[in-house]
Amino acid sequence: MSELDATIHAGHAGMEESPYGIPSGKLAMWCFVLSDAVTFSAILFAYGYLRIGSTNWSTPFEFAHAILNGLVMTFILLTSGLTMLAAVEAAKAGRTAAGTRWLWATCALGALFATLHLREWGRMMNEGWRLFQNPLGGSVEFGAAFFCITGLHLLHVLGGVCALAVIALGYRRQRYNSIDVEILGIYWHFVDLVWMFVFPLVYLMNAR
Amino acid sequence: MSVQGAALGPGMQFFVAVWIALMCIVGVEVIVTYQHLPPRQLLVWLLLLAFLEAGVAAWYFMHLKYERAALTWSLLPALVFVVFMMDHIWPDAFRLASMRLLSR
Repeated sequence: MSELDATIHAGHAGMEESPYGIPSGKLAMWCFVLSDAVTFSAILFAYGYLRIGSTNWSTPFEFAHAILNGLVMTFILLTSGLTMLAAVEAAKAGRTAAGTRWLWATCALGALFATLHLREWGRMMNEGWRLFQNPLGGSVEFGAAFFCITGLHLLHVLGGVCALAVIALGYRRQRYNSIDVEILGIYWHFVDLVWMFVFPLVYLMNAR
Repeated sequence: MSVQGAALGPGMQFFVAVWIALMCIVGVEVIVTYQHLPPRQLLVWLLLLAFLEAGVAAWYFMHLKYERAALTWSLLPALVFVVFMMDHIWPDAFRLASMRLLSR
C-alpha cells in the first residue's frame, strides 16, 4: 500500500473513501487557499475602487527601476515555483536528499524575493512614499493601496519561507513525509499565483 | 481504487515547458503595457493574461489537473461566485469620482 493510501485509510477504517481522494491536510490547504484567494480578491477590488474613485491617481513606476525590479521578482518567484515542483516530485519518488535540496532552493529564492521587495520599499520610502503620503502631489490613497497589497503578499511570502525551512528540516529528519511537502507546495504555488495578479494590476497599471 | 492514481502527473521536463510559457505570458504583459493603450483596454488585456497565467499555474503547478474533478468543481464555483458578487462596486466608484470632480 502506498504512503498516500496508508495515510488516507489509516483514519478511515470501516468508513467510505473521501470523495476527493486526498488526505485531510491537503483538502484543508485547498480550503485555506480558496479563502485567501477571496481575501486578495477583496483587497484588489478595493484598490480598483480607490483608483477609479480618484481624480488624481499617480502612475510613478519607471521601467528602469520599478518595472525591471518587478520583472526580476516575478522571474524569481516563478522559478521558486519550479524548484518547489522539483521538491514535490523528488519527495514522491522517495528521494529524500534531493527533495530536501530543492526545498532549501525554494526557501532561498523566496527569501531573495522578499529581500528585493523590501529593497524596493526602502527606495520608495526614500523618495517620500508612505501609507498616506504622495511625493508627486497626487492621491495619497496610492501609497495606502500599494503598501497594503504588496505588504500582505510579502507577509505570505515570509510565512512561506519559514514554513519551507521547517518542512525542509523535518523532512530531512523523516518527521514529515512527501504529503506534507505536497501540501506546502500548494501554498507556495498560491503565493506565486497571487503575484500573477499583483504585478500587472499594481505595477504595470501604474507604469509611467 | 488507489487514490494515488489520481495524483500522478508528468515529469519535470513538462513543468519546465510550463514555466517557460508562464515567463512568456509575463513578457507579453510588459509589451502590452508599453503599447500606450487606453487604461480601460490595458486593464482588460492585463486581466485576461493574468487569469490565463493563474489558470495554467493552478492547473499544472498546483496539480489540479491530476486531482479528481470533484475537487475543482467544489472550489472554483465558490470563488467565481464571490468574485462576481464583488464585481458590482464599480458604479459607486465612478459616482465617487464624479462627486469629487463636482466638489472642486
